[in-house]
Amino acid sequence: MANTVHRRAFCLLASAFCLAGAPAFETSALAQDSSIRLGIVAPMSGPNARYGAFSLRGAQLAAKDINAAGGIDGRKIQVFSADSQGTPVEGVSATRRLIDQDKVDFLIGDVSSSVTLAMQPVVEDAGVLLINAASSNPKITYAAGVGGFKWSFRNYPTDENRALIVAQYAAEKRGFTKFAVLSVDSDYGRSAIEFTKKYLPRFKGQILSEDYYKEGEVDFRSVLAKIRDSGAQAIIMYGLADTTPIVARQMTEVGLAGKVPLIGNGEFNTEKTIKSAPKALEGAVEAAAWLPGWDSPKSKGFVARFTAEYREAPNNHAYVHWETVNLLGKAVEAAKSTDRAKVRDALAKIKYDSAVGEVTFDDHNQAKLPMILLQIEDGKPVVKGAYSADIDYPR
Amino acid sequence: MLFQISEQIVNGIVTGAVYALVAVGMTMIFGVLRAINFAHGEYYMVGTFGAWVAIEYFDLPYPVAIVAGVIATAFVALVIGQFVMRRMVGAPAEAGVLATLGIALILQNSVILLFGGGYKFFEGGYIEPVTILGVSLAEQRLLIIAVAVLVFFGLELLVTYSRMGKAMRAVSQNVECCAVVGIDVRKVVVRTFVLGAALAGLSGVLTAPVNVSVYGGMGELITFKTLPIIIMGGLGNVRGTFFAAMILGIAESLVATYVGLQFRDTVGFATLMLVLMWRPHGLFSAQARY
Repeated sequence: MANTVHRRAFCLLASAFCLAGAPAFETSALAQDSSIRLGIVAPMSGPNARYGAFSLRGAQLAAKDINAAGGIDGRKIQVFSADSQGTPVEGVSATRRLIDQDKVDFLIGDVSSSVTLAMQPVVEDAGVLLINAASSNPKITYAAGVGGFKWSFRNYPTDENRALIVAQYAAEKRGFTKFAVLSVDSDYGRSAIEFTKKYLPRFKGQILSEDYYKEGEVDFRSVLAKIRDSGAQAIIMYGLADTTPIVARQMTEVGLAGKVPLIGNGEFNTEKTIKSAPKALEGAVEAAAWLPGWDSPKSKGFVARFTAEYREAPNNHAYVHWETVNLLGKAVEAAKSTDRAKVRDALAKIKYDSAVGEVTFDDHNQAKLPMILLQIEDGKPVVKGAYSADIDYPR
Repeated sequence: MLFQISEQIVNGIVTGAVYALVAVGMTMIFGVLRAINFAHGEYYMVGTFGAWVAIEYFDLPYPVAIVAGVIATAFVALVIGQFVMRRMVGAPAEAGVLATLGIALILQNSVILLFGGGYKFFEGGYIEPVTILGVSLAEQRLLIIAVAVLVFFGLELLVTYSRMGKAMRAVSQNVECCAVVGIDVRKVVVRTFVLGAALAGLSGVLTAPVNVSVYGGMGELITFKTLPIIIMGGLGNVRGTFFAAMILGIAESLVATYVGLQFRDTVGFATLMLVLMWRPHGLFSAQARY
């Protein structure tokens, strides 16, 4: 009896091996010089799975359309996907898998900054070109280009870009000089304020009070009353999307609504948030990398194409991945080769027309690209234009 | 300056009223069961979800949604009371901790499974601000304070005069004697449990309009804010809980204003430590339960 079970188990195992082995052979057979082998590392499971799904779909759509149009000089883009689960450990093994098993030459990933930071040394060792499309932590490109990692690029604005652009807009266009800080108590919220402080002296702005809230905080009355009495002209908030309506409602309660706007980031411009406290969000200013309503032919074309393909409107992650695959395509075209080093050099010198504006890379392999500024006017987000700003790298 | 402090004290009282409503149920349950109900925040969450479902799926007005939320919580508590809590009578303390922690996980994840993990938006309630003595408050907050005062008044009457209240006091003093004189201890435990959970649910429904976001994990924070309150109030002491909740609410509000919002969550346990050093039985002696 035991024998038969063993034998059956062996047969099962053997057939499983054959099944698993078959596609592996197939892929190695497909590894021709002519194809562009691109790996996408994204959170396909876990709390950020939705972002990962959008990212992969954006990338696949770009590849599909490029291939349908004949590829890049006849070279087709092959997309391989691996799940980072949004954690550095899984992200690193996903990256290794794509490099070692799928033999990719180019990588795009991850959404989460901590994963991208962990991927950087891996691609550096392997000499595989990484173009990040969605992480905003400034450290990623502090450490790239002249900062160290030669194979890491980023085609996405950083938290520092965002803080600078928002501060500049608030000071120059709105004439604010006195600010109160109310941000989330996390790496993101605190570092955004660090960057704001770094650039505020440029605009003669000063911070009157500084408070950070814990995730899940629901009572802002005390701190908002303090801000009201301090005479601040605007509240700098880099916060959580789900907390914004709570803050906005309590701003109405303590009498800040309509007098002191929120500036920064935290989904101020969604219909849901505005509806929660229209008066408090009037005049709120937010900077976004991209948004579906952005009025340019290329952007509108992407939204229509994505919606037709997947029957759902794209989000920011879908856009940046779509754009980054197209950017890679242009770099391969300029390099006239799929050789990694040649493509990297072409990318460093590229002038690429994205849907938001022209993209070039600085000596830290960081894309210089504009961000879209939104202001809430009469209960509707109004695009105030695309702004870009040069950041000071730490020496 | 004086006005600023008095406004912050009002803010503290508002916060304290919410804490008081949640904590009183937890302290009563402790009284009869000798177990801390780690799932208490989850009943707060269930109540909020009940009201949210009533508004979102059935288009009911907010006052009806309050009732719906409380009934939903009471029903969930009744089921859990019958299947779990009544078995905790006379069980060792670890059993209560494990059972309630387990229930917290089950309730949280059931709600996430049913409605998804994302944040929901709570419509309804009375969020227009009104100004009283120069302090601007949402109408809803006045409602919360009024309900809290009414509930505590009612509870005082209940535990002092009603048959059930007397039985609750008896069970909290001596379980064996209750059994001897013919009090059905398990029934008292289940009833107290349902009442306590329903009060947590009520406070969830009442705060939802000002807190706006509704999500599966919203109860956790409440449980941990409530713990120091019931210990300070003297475990099982209804009146003590009320004052402890107010003290914590006001202390938090002052710290958020003059020290920084990021230190707010430390206030509860810091105050608790000070109080325990000074009065190890809690501010209000635990001997006078209820």
